[in-house]
Amino acid sequence: MIELFNVSVQENKRLILNQVSLRINKGEFVYLIGKTGAGKTTLLRLIYLDLYPSQGNIIVENYSSATIKRRQIPYLRRKVGVVFQDFKLLPDRNVYENVAFALRVIGASRREIKSRVLSVLTQVGLNHKRYHLPHTLSGGEKQRVAIARALVNEPFILLADEPTGNLDPEASRDILELLEDINRSGTAVCMATHNYELIKLIPHRTILLDNGEIRREFSPAEVQQLKVIE
Amino acid sequence: MSVFFLLKEGIVGLKRARLAAVITIVSICLSLSLFGSFTLVGYNLQDVFNRFYKKIRLEVFLDSSLGLDQLEKLKKKIHQNPEVEAVEYISSQAALQEFQKTFGQDLSSVLKSNPLPASFRVVLRPKYTAPERIEDLANRIRRLPGVQEVLYQKEIVRFLHKYLGLGIAILLIFAFLILVVITILIFNTIRLTIHSRMNIIEIMQLVGATNLFIKSPYIIEGMLQGLLGSLLAVGILALFVSFIRDVFYHGIQVPPHLYPFLLILGTLLGLLGSYISVNKYLKY
Repeated sequence: MIELFNVSVQENKRLILNQVSLRINKGEFVYLIGKTGAGKTTLLRLIYLDLYPSQGNIIVENYSSATIKRRQIPYLRRKVGVVFQDFKLLPDRNVYENVAFALRVIGASRREIKSRVLSVLTQVGLNHKRYHLPHTLSGGEKQRVAIARALVNEPFILLADEPTGNLDPEASRDILELLEDINRSGTAVCMATHNYELIKLIPHRTILLDNGEIRREFSPAEVQQLKVIE
Repeated sequence: MSVFFLLKEGIVGLKRARLAAVITIVSICLSLSLFGSFTLVGYNLQDVFNRFYKKIRLEVFLDSSLGLDQLEKLKKKIHQNPEVEAVEYISSQAALQEFQKTFGQDLSSVLKSNPLPASFRVVLRPKYTAPERIEDLANRIRRLPGVQEVLYQKEIVRFLHKYLGLGIAILLIFAFLILVVITILIFNTIRLTIHSRMNIIEIMQLVGATNLFIKSPYIIEGMLQGLLGSLLAVGILALFVSFIRDVFYHGIQVPPHLYPFLLILGTLLGLLGSYISVNKYLKY
């Protein structure tokens, strides 16, 4: 469960988020939409505490941004998976190692690593490419590796910041379907995007951010009415 | 947390950023060699300096009228001065023999009586080598009854003190400056290494690696670089010393503990450099 109470973020005297309150429930799928610079990325960064709010408070499971200690942040991050538009894979390690990395750095045992990595690679459909290096993969496949790495710690929520931003329409649809699968198996998903056509394919609760504020919330049924505002 | 994984990451890190690692190792090696050779030169200068000083003697010429008792008393008095290491009596007979030995001329064939006075030869403690102190001592001895004159190589004492002392001071300053430069250099090269791997640090932070876990490979890597660099530096210095010993100057001496000191210094600098640099890039 994630909850934001009147959260504002100010950077260099510019207000990036203004009094945002939001609740994401367990197992929910939420889209964050809005123009570039509307505050989508900032909102996501707040959730994995890459950024502290200038005002307000954020609750992520048992942690609160107001009271969390710096050394506790890694433990929060293990419960929150994050993927990005640019994948952020390690170019000199193969698919398996990229995913295993997330477990190695938290000190998992070798046996545990092996079974969990193979299972999550099967889930994203990349088991057969586990020895490939990232540069030999397509964009869609790279994003699958990133998703596998985000999932391998079994987080309760997956944050996706423009995960289809670098992908062609077909690959984008595949990634979205994968996220939907992941959500169905119980992991909450919060995806920032400005691809409105895409979210109409699998509509969910959608939050429109504009100029650092929540402008409107759409129910899944209302999503179809969304028009491109950019 | 598995130590094995950390060590492996440290070594793998060295392999991955091979060029950066080589640059760091070479710069540590060069600066430590330079620092080491300055220390070496300074130490040997000091050594030469001391050896010159050990040869400085005060010649205390005595009245020929002194009896044995008085001689003994005078010797004791001179010996009581803190600057004096030893006092040796040279009879006028012995002085004559020494003269003949040195100049190969038999004075007794020219002169009927021995013109050379008896003397004390005063050996100084190396601790008191300032020219003013020696001059002061000479004056004190001069005032003692029974002493005719005190002579020593005043000019050489002045020269040694002025120029060799200055030389050593300059060397020490240079060695210190080099140390400062090395520190900055190591910090910067390691910072570059870490900067080139910002993405891996970012990912580690993202997937919830603890601070210590993220830092450790870099610190281990920095230590390894420091150790390798200083090992190379010690090798170069050892070769340099043996070359000098064989070809130019047989008496060259290595300051005690110089090599272990360089190894520890290099390793510590590598450790500190990477520790500080990696801290700069960690947000939490």
